[in-house]
Amino acid sequence: MVKKKKKTAMYIGMILITLVVVFPFIWMVILSFKSNSDIMSSPLSLPKTLNFDNYKNALKTLDYLQLYRNTVFVCVISVVFEIIITFLSSFVLSRMVFKNSKILKMIYGFLIMGLSISPFILLFPVYKINVVLGLRGKLALIFIYVATSISFNTLLLVGYLKSLPTEIDEAAVIDGCNIWNLMLKVILPMTKPVIATIVIFNVLYIWNEFPFASVMLRDVSDYTLSMGASFFKGNYTVDYGGIVASSIMIIIPELIFYGIFQKNIVEGMTAGAVKG
Amino acid sequence: MYWLSKKRYKIGFLIPTLVVYSVFIILPIIIAVSYSFTRYSGIGKAKFLGLDNYIRLFQDKLFWISLKNTMIIFVLAFVLLLTVAFLIALLLNNRLKAVDASKALIFSPAIIAPIIVGIIWVYILDPNIGILNNILEAFGASEMKQKWIGGEFWSPYSVAIIYFWQQLGYLVTIFIAGLKMIPNDVMEAMRIDGANGFQEVKYVIIPMMKTTISTVAVLVITGVFKIFEIVQQTTGGGPNHLSETLVTYSYSMTFTSSHYGYGMSLATVTFLLSLIITAIYSFLTKEKER
Repeated sequence: MVKKKKKTAMYIGMILITLVVVFPFIWMVILSFKSNSDIMSSPLSLPKTLNFDNYKNALKTLDYLQLYRNTVFVCVISVVFEIIITFLSSFVLSRMVFKNSKILKMIYGFLIMGLSISPFILLFPVYKINVVLGLRGKLALIFIYVATSISFNTLLLVGYLKSLPTEIDEAAVIDGCNIWNLMLKVILPMTKPVIATIVIFNVLYIWNEFPFASVMLRDVSDYTLSMGASFFKGNYTVDYGGIVASSIMIIIPELIFYGIFQKNIVEGMTAGAVKG
Repeated sequence: MYWLSKKRYKIGFLIPTLVVYSVFIILPIIIAVSYSFTRYSGIGKAKFLGLDNYIRLFQDKLFWISLKNTMIIFVLAFVLLLTVAFLIALLLNNRLKAVDASKALIFSPAIIAPIIVGIIWVYILDPNIGILNNILEAFGASEMKQKWIGGEFWSPYSVAIIYFWQQLGYLVTIFIAGLKMIPNDVMEAMRIDGANGFQEVKYVIIPMMKTTISTVAVLVITGVFKIFEIVQQTTGGGPNHLSETLVTYSYSMTFTSSHYGYGMSLATVTFLLSLIITAIYSFLTKEKER
């Protein structure tokens, strides 16, 4: 019976840990139904009724549709752009022959180096570069999001493309494939799983990104979701209820996204870590 | 394949990536370091100062406070995350019902926006409206109430706890991936030889998971030097910059006070520091393995 006792202890441990981690989320949901004055005067009380005022207020203050539209706009352009360029460069780095293999290694190392570069040293210089290039608002975010993804994408794509046998290329060429057909019709379809991981990982990154957005975005009409989340503070009175409701409206789609693509998200985050 | 390795393809396919990467990652670092030797207020031209900013930095009390706070967060988060995440991984690596759901839930803080992580914890740690102090009061332990955030003492510790909450599930997942790589026969042999759980962990699991443990350690080191939104949301670095970390201090110097030159010297030092600590860590663990 020792074994059974041990199992029970394990279950209790697992449930307790899960509850402790999840509790802050649940608390947010509870708070979102309390009025602002209730949150301040009796913080522990539970809401008596389902009061959607906080959500209504939040929706009145901020245009969430616009926030989502901006975020999706930046996401789609950045991710499509980065996939195109890093697929091409990774194809060269993994499947082409270099007379001097040192050059190959150098380029690869150069591109991977970015994994250890903190974004905070880049904030002001990138802002300056964007000013010089005349990139403003949402557009100012695209290149930097593409650039910060290069190291990660290169790591995953080169690793994966190297694992595909070279015989594929040879067979395709003998069958009369040119380089474009080989890349787009033969290799690209085989790379789908990694590309899925890269896309999901980077969408999540852009969705959550705050430091660059806070530096580049001036107009509320350009705000992305994470900027919207920080919007309610800085008014004279802190609208606690509004902040909670607005945060929940940002989290929920994210959690649904996580629910659907959990496998890819976990894979992307751990693959980047373990290989890097 | 040699046939398709024509020079024009190689150059043509590499160039877009190399250009974007150089202009938006490499060039900015050069710009940041150059500005760190100047005084620049955003208007007019930057004035060359030589090493003045770095000398000022070492005499700046707030720099040392930020460094101290960063180190408190680092040490606390490092110890907590490495031990607790490892223990939870050992637990969740067992065949339990609903263990996948539990893993997924524990992982979820890692995927939501860090800015919202900060917001969520305001409602737990805020001295007035936060649940922690109110629970302490409700249980008659008012003397234990603290200014968990926004006071002079507890802020960095609170930030470490919040960071711990955010990263826990992520690191548990990495540890579990490491545990899965230990061959089953090794564990079985150990059990047949009569090892107990503690011996298993000490003599088999930990030695066989060295790479995973270093990965996690490096992640925590580099991660701590990227904590930004949590501090920004919970304390904003206040009161009087006392809860500032290196990253938030350099941000506020650069963008709030418009001391761009000095801000860049702070950013440069912060970046170098994280590289140095990572290098020291890898050096120390490599030595041991020999």
